[in-house]
Amino acid sequence: MTEPTGLHAEPAPIAEVEKLAVTFQRRGETIHALREVDLTIRPGEVLGLVGESGSGKSVLGSAILGLLPAGASVTGRVLVDGVDMIHGGERARRTVRRLSLGAVFQDPMTSLNPTKRIGKQLHEVTGSDDEAVRLMESVGIPEARHRLRSFPHELSGGLRQRAMIAMSLAGGPKLLVADEPTTALDVSVQAQILDLLRDLCDDLGLAILFVTHDLGVASQVSDRIAVLYGGRQAELGPTADVLTRPRHPYSAALRSSRLTLTTPKQLQISSIEGETPDPSRPVEACPFGPRCAFHDTPCDNGLPALRAAAQGNTETACVREAELPADLTAVGTGAEWPATPITTPGPALTVRGARKSYRLGRGQRAVHIAALDGVDLTVARGEAVAVVGLSGCGKTTLLRSIAGLVELDEGELTLHDTGAPQVVFQDAGSSLTPWLSIGDLIEERLRGTGLAPDAQRARVEEAMRQVGLPAQLRTSRAAELSGGQRQRAAIARAIVVPPSLLLCDEPTSALDVSLAATILNLLGRLRRELDLALLFVTHDLAAARLVSERIVVMESGRIIEDGPADEVTQHPAHTLTRSLLAALPGPGRREQRQRYLTTSEDPNAALARTSGT
Amino acid sequence: MVVTVLAVLAPHVQPHDSLVPVGAPYQPPLSGGALLGTDQVGRDVLSRVLEGMSVSWLATLLLVAVVGLVGTAVGLVAGYVGGLLDRVLMAIVDFFLALPAAILAIVIAAVLGPSLKHALIAIGVLSWPYYARLVRAEVRSLVALPFVEAARLSGNGHLRLMVRHILPGAWPVLLVTLTLDLGGTIVILAGLSFLGLGRAAPAPELGAMAAQGLPYLLTNWWIPVVPAACVMLLALVANLSGDGLRSLLKDQ
Repeated sequence: MTEPTGLHAEPAPIAEVEKLAVTFQRRGETIHALREVDLTIRPGEVLGLVGESGSGKSVLGSAILGLLPAGASVTGRVLVDGVDMIHGGERARRTVRRLSLGAVFQDPMTSLNPTKRIGKQLHEVTGSDDEAVRLMESVGIPEARHRLRSFPHELSGGLRQRAMIAMSLAGGPKLLVADEPTTALDVSVQAQILDLLRDLCDDLGLAILFVTHDLGVASQVSDRIAVLYGGRQAELGPTADVLTRPRHPYSAALRSSRLTLTTPKQLQISSIEGETPDPSRPVEACPFGPRCAFHDTPCDNGLPALRAAAQGNTETACVREAELPADLTAVGTGAEWPATPITTPGPALTVRGARKSYRLGRGQRAVHIAALDGVDLTVARGEAVAVVGLSGCGKTTLLRSIAGLVELDEGELTLHDTGAPQVVFQDAGSSLTPWLSIGDLIEERLRGTGLAPDAQRARVEEAMRQVGLPAQLRTSRAAELSGGQRQRAAIARAIVVPPSLLLCDEPTSALDVSLAATILNLLGRLRRELDLALLFVTHDLAAARLVSERIVVMESGRIIEDGPADEVTQHPAHTLTRSLLAALPGPGRREQRQRYLTTSEDPNAALARTSGT
Repeated sequence: MVVTVLAVLAPHVQPHDSLVPVGAPYQPPLSGGALLGTDQVGRDVLSRVLEGMSVSWLATLLLVAVVGLVGTAVGLVAGYVGGLLDRVLMAIVDFFLALPAAILAIVIAAVLGPSLKHALIAIGVLSWPYYARLVRAEVRSLVALPFVEAARLSGNGHLRLMVRHILPGAWPVLLVTLTLDLGGTIVILAGLSFLGLGRAAPAPELGAMAAQGLPYLLTNWWIPVVPAACVMLLALVANLSGDGLRSLLKDQ
């Protein structure tokens, strides 16, 4: 890629990636992480790099930083500031890293040194305390001079990430590589960090490569979006175009499976069927082919490359783009929900005056934190209720006490039907005993039912079929399954004996967008077919609205709002609910947020206030 | 594994009876039909060493297995139940850990009288608390994991939870430690019998053979050196297999 020279030349790109292919060896298999990707990052732009897990997005980020693991074999070029970050000399690469590049990672707790004070760590990269304070102030850390003496664990997640950003800004970099910088954060903190990154880009002329799995997050900060799939670029274009007129079926499907407050509730969420391609068996065809609704013979003639779309302003790697319908986002909307059986009226669960507090510290300095501070909640048979709130609001404690994993200090909890409630945990992988097979784990729940071994086996296979798991996986262990399959297995275990109440603890927050939609659909279908009451704990109001009929908002161990899902999302009564809604990522969300927060000069401060302590 | 098979077969492969003299005493190795020479009374050193190794190895294996079992049981229960029982059990464990192991082993073996059984009891009593601690620590970290909670919600009883959902998680660490400790135990056992607290006199035992051969170190070096080298060899084999096991388990 050569830049035209002359008076009206575009400024030279800050980073250029040419035909970059990266492979790793893992367990004797060759993993093709990136397959000849081209990418240019211009000075002062935010480039959103969007892809699901296994798409190669993080590998691309590491390649630009020149930090690929030693075992990787690389072809192609990565130029940052004119220096080859793959084959260049170690000294030159180090200079580029120090002077031109900054990096922000997902978890600031692991990328900051926990044994050193923030000030000392910043001093190391800036050379002076005054500069450290200036940087901390520039990223919006209040009382910066005072915080110099803090250790990383003494800061909140949001402040830690700000400190990490401050560190990456030392030396005045031209390009910041941010790899999922907000994934570990609460929605409202995420919104603040996104605004901060955007401001840095606008004020300092910094270019940012923003790596994320969430199209919504990317669309809020990015000027351009590159969509990665199976180690290849699927689409590249200005944010607004990729979002409103995607010209690759994959980016269109990603867009439609995103959960927003306007996604129609009556239908199932549109989702991408099938699994992501196996990186150890690359095919010389469009990697999205097997999952694509428009798949046809020309798609299998070699790896498609990016080229300008015939309809629209993006570059797409879809060879059939010209023949595709003009509006790809309308394609493949979800099917209708199955009919709900008539539910016996009455409550499935009643919670009265539930209180639970935890002690922090010991002896004289002990502090009691109320996780539940007088919660009343009723869930009717067959009803789906979402419990929403920021981390630390007590929503998970509530779920755990209903499951019987936590004992209440006070209050009463009545389950009106026989059979213990079942839980689908946030991280399905860690809720499946690693050394037992899926079949054994599901079958355990049938112990004591008096079923004959044959009948138990049949019931296990039936449950696996209901959640869409092939029966031959019954002998597999959790580690051999994909993320989506693990979540399905966990759900199969929960429903093999249908419980009267199914508790879901953020079951989709660890999953990719398209998978999350599939799992939400599965839960929605199962609860209707099996007539389950559902208690769905989440921090995502968009997901809450789609899954449930009622939304309950919690703050500091109390329920502060309780109403029909659409009512709560459209006419929120409480300020916290409003700030949660405003914090949902998406294009133009910032303007809405500021409009809502007109009373305050600083939106971040207002959000921080409402989120409370 | 190979060593264990050899140990079991040892009585059948040794060329001579280990108690009966086969020829003139003080014969150097590779002479007069004795591959490793003969000792002070003319017995075949090779045969005696083979039998001694076999006894040491099998006894240690048995000991470590029993000790590991006891320690695991205590550690599993303490770690799983927690609370008061945990504190009581760990207090007992700490008491045993605080004792000076080597000296006490000598005392116990001396009080009970010299025999292989007593030496084993002495070592066993002093080493189980170590495994109890180890297993308890593993169990404590496993109990808090989501899959244990999920298994509890699946309606599993306490015993089933412990045995099926928790214990297998502690296996790798325990197994590797046990194998690595085989070597140490062999050395301690040889040490006790070196001091005359092991197997009774005429029967071949590596430590005792080294002790009895010690006066001949300068004149007939093979009599004490061969059994001592065999102790080293066994300990080395145990440590190597421990390392091998560790890397094998890490890959899984």
